[in-house]
Amino acid sequence: MKKIIEKALAKGVERAEAFLFENIETDVRYEAGSLKSISDTEEMGAALRLVKDGKLGFATTTKLEDVDGLVDNALATAAEGEPITFEFSAEAERPAPSITDDRIASLTVEEMMKHSEDAIARVLDYEKNVNADSATSRQLQRIGVATCRGFEAEFERTAYEFYVGGLLIEGTNMLHTGASYAGTEFGADHAALADSAIRDIERGRVNVDIRPGETTVVLTPRAVADIFLTLNLGVNGLYVDERISPLAGKLGETILDERITIRDDGVRSGAYFSAAFDDEGVPMQETTVFENGALRSYLTDRRTSARLDHPATGNGLKAKRLIMSKELGKTPSPEITNWVMDGGERSCDELISEVGSGVLVDSIMGIIMANLAAGDFSGNLMYALKIENGKTVGRVKDAMISGNVYKLFRDNLVGLSKEVERTGIMGGIGSHWYPHIVLRDVSIAAKG
Amino acid sequence: MKNRISEVLAKYAGRCDYLEVHIEDTEESRVGFTGSRLSELGRRVDFGGNVRALYKGGWGFASFNSLDRIDEFAGHAVDQARLVGHGTSQLASVEPLVADVALDVINDPRDVSLADKVAMMRAYNEQVLAFHDEIITSSLLYFDRYRRFWFGSSEGAMVYQERVDIGGRVTPVASRGEGSQSYSASFGGSDDFNVARGNEARVDKACRVALGKLDAPKVKAGEYAVVVDPMLGGVFIHEAFGHLSEGDNVYENKNLRDVMVLGRRFGKPFLNVHDTGLDKGCRGYLVYDDEGVPTEKTDLIREGKLVGRLHSRETAGKMGERPTGSARLIDYRHPPVPRMRNTVIESGDSTFDEMIADIDLGIYAISASGGQTNGEMFTFTAADAYMIRNGKLAEQVRDVMLTGNVFTTLDSIDAIGNDLACHDGGGGCGKAGQFPLPVTHGSPHVRIQNVVIGGE
Repeated sequence: MKKIIEKALAKGVERAEAFLFENIETDVRYEAGSLKSISDTEEMGAALRLVKDGKLGFATTTKLEDVDGLVDNALATAAEGEPITFEFSAEAERPAPSITDDRIASLTVEEMMKHSEDAIARVLDYEKNVNADSATSRQLQRIGVATCRGFEAEFERTAYEFYVGGLLIEGTNMLHTGASYAGTEFGADHAALADSAIRDIERGRVNVDIRPGETTVVLTPRAVADIFLTLNLGVNGLYVDERISPLAGKLGETILDERITIRDDGVRSGAYFSAAFDDEGVPMQETTVFENGALRSYLTDRRTSARLDHPATGNGLKAKRLIMSKELGKTPSPEITNWVMDGGERSCDELISEVGSGVLVDSIMGIIMANLAAGDFSGNLMYALKIENGKTVGRVKDAMISGNVYKLFRDNLVGLSKEVERTGIMGGIGSHWYPHIVLRDVSIAAKG
Repeated sequence: MKNRISEVLAKYAGRCDYLEVHIEDTEESRVGFTGSRLSELGRRVDFGGNVRALYKGGWGFASFNSLDRIDEFAGHAVDQARLVGHGTSQLASVEPLVADVALDVINDPRDVSLADKVAMMRAYNEQVLAFHDEIITSSLLYFDRYRRFWFGSSEGAMVYQERVDIGGRVTPVASRGEGSQSYSASFGGSDDFNVARGNEARVDKACRVALGKLDAPKVKAGEYAVVVDPMLGGVFIHEAFGHLSEGDNVYENKNLRDVMVLGRRFGKPFLNVHDTGLDKGCRGYLVYDDEGVPTEKTDLIREGKLVGRLHSRETAGKMGERPTGSARLIDYRHPPVPRMRNTVIESGDSTFDEMIADIDLGIYAISASGGQTNGEMFTFTAADAYMIRNGKLAEQVRDVMLTGNVFTTLDSIDAIGNDLACHDGGGGCGKAGQFPLPVTHGSPHVRIQNVVIGGE
């Protein structure tokens, strides 16, 4: 990294920032109950931002031996670039969250296979007609940042991801369930994840009709994560700066129900998105985003922090959509890390039993395509169960949920569970710890 | 490079049933604007490769950036395949291909200076920001990639291909303070930089639509007759059927194989669907796929019945069908899997006016913000929409998301227009962690009955 900075400075640039990413990954994949493939990935690359004549340039490469090419490409873009409006990081005190785990680093392929095989056996033991899939991934990463202002640091992280799922096809009825883990610590309870997939098959095996209209919904932590894609964007410094976010200019105002407190915790021990510093060298931290419903902070990178005159929160990330990795070719921009929400006072079972009739919503498909920045969400109920007399009675299909987060989570909140569970979302960024949330009068569209 | 690949193949092929090496060198330029700011300007060099080994039906795969250590990675891939494999390797046989595919382009994006690309996008951006006071910001992106691929296999294939991929979008964002609305004009292609030029009229239209949506009410939830425009029709067929026709979604799954048997009726006799790699200039254009199989036009639905699917050599081999040149990888970090190229609903004989004439209450859904499927159900979102009332187009509505079932919705298509158009956007298709893969869609106007639409 230092060499990249030195080469850039030697070519007459005024400022420079180098980013280094190295990932050694092993993936074991099971399809239809049997081992399908084992993959190794070894990737490394560097990114360079530099300032020449006051203008910002950017280039990346996986040809690490060709530093000259990297600098020349960045210089070529700087010639056409935008005047820079922020500083690169200087040396600062950094947190040291626990993001490495020897149990991950020393994991063998045979052990990874065993985790998947045991989980699949558990699913097949419940129902042999299930098409059981599983995937196990181990990542050993090194991430570094260096700047012309004396910042030079790197950290290592380990990551473990595990998935087990079952697809039950009866005629043209497909029931897809699955559960996953992702963390920097080896914290997966493989059997419990398999049991969760089994329980979802059990509870969703029978389809039941639903009357369209407004109804009470119980959102599982996974569904909350889907719907909170809206809030993820709402507090994003970029969306605030561009005035796309309805939360622009509303720091301190009460936005949501007062029972809602959410933190973006970039230093949470063992969490997937925790780190010592972000991809611009800003220390990661725990940021209270909503406190008792009031908006306390936006999430910023260095540029939006300067633009908004808002503290830097360490959210400048080169996050990759759809998979949890780094997108080298992207410049850092505000992204969430780990979102943690406070729970309520009732147990999950109490909450559900108090809902006379309604729908338990677990996963929503297509939500990513809604006008999330405006707080609007809409999607197909990919896995949802009808609740009657406080009990789930079967699966609801071919139905859609819609609403606006800033209305429903301000005016229609019935309760939160005291249990707060870790969840991930398909195609999303960030790890999430959310309670079950009950909302009243939510629109459900369905046939009939 | 070819010699290096041959050496590795010769050294390790004896320890497995099949071995292939893929090397790739990509150069990319990106230009993006957000509001008045040139928010993205970069050059990316991405060089790397992978080795994939098959042994007794099991795959080992290793991807890398360091070509110097290719022998080590090849050894890993073979070792892993031997750990995985306990059955039989079944690859559909193909003639080992030896070919060089040089670039065949009309206007090479590499001949256009970065300054000119920035100026082009800046002009679009200024057009957007000057359009109206209520256009508060914008989001624009242009990219081009020049890619070189080397592919060799233990069967004697040795292919060198050059490809160009160009794409982008211009998105005005309108707002009056509470909630923003947007609409994109997108473009893409594989052989002509000029697809990025001359989009001014479409950009104006995008501004008008985004502004219109500020006044448009949210659609009311319900079940409607829907007429989709060619752009949305393309996304519809991609999500509602295309993914289901990919061989890897079917081949390991006995129950689904029973459902997806060739000859099964999916739609009415006037429904014809194909997927093709042959449309030169489209982003989904291919000469050879990433297993060295010549691309083709693959019929998927003929006269309403399932007649084919998209295969890699493995899925074709396991299902006793022929490979279709559909095995694609997004980059060297991933193995090739069956993917779509240009997926098309073929023209019918209805006019647009005929299609809306007998709809009392329906929706005209235009262009797509995206789509998704889980194998059984699908959703897609209209970027713009209008009510149809008493056979006529009526008021604009917003937030129109449609859902359906892959096994039944195609049969609800009861009219197909005579105005087929293909579209290339600046996005792409995502599957198995591989996103965004350049694909194209095509469709005429299509009418679908009984579509569930979310809303308030």
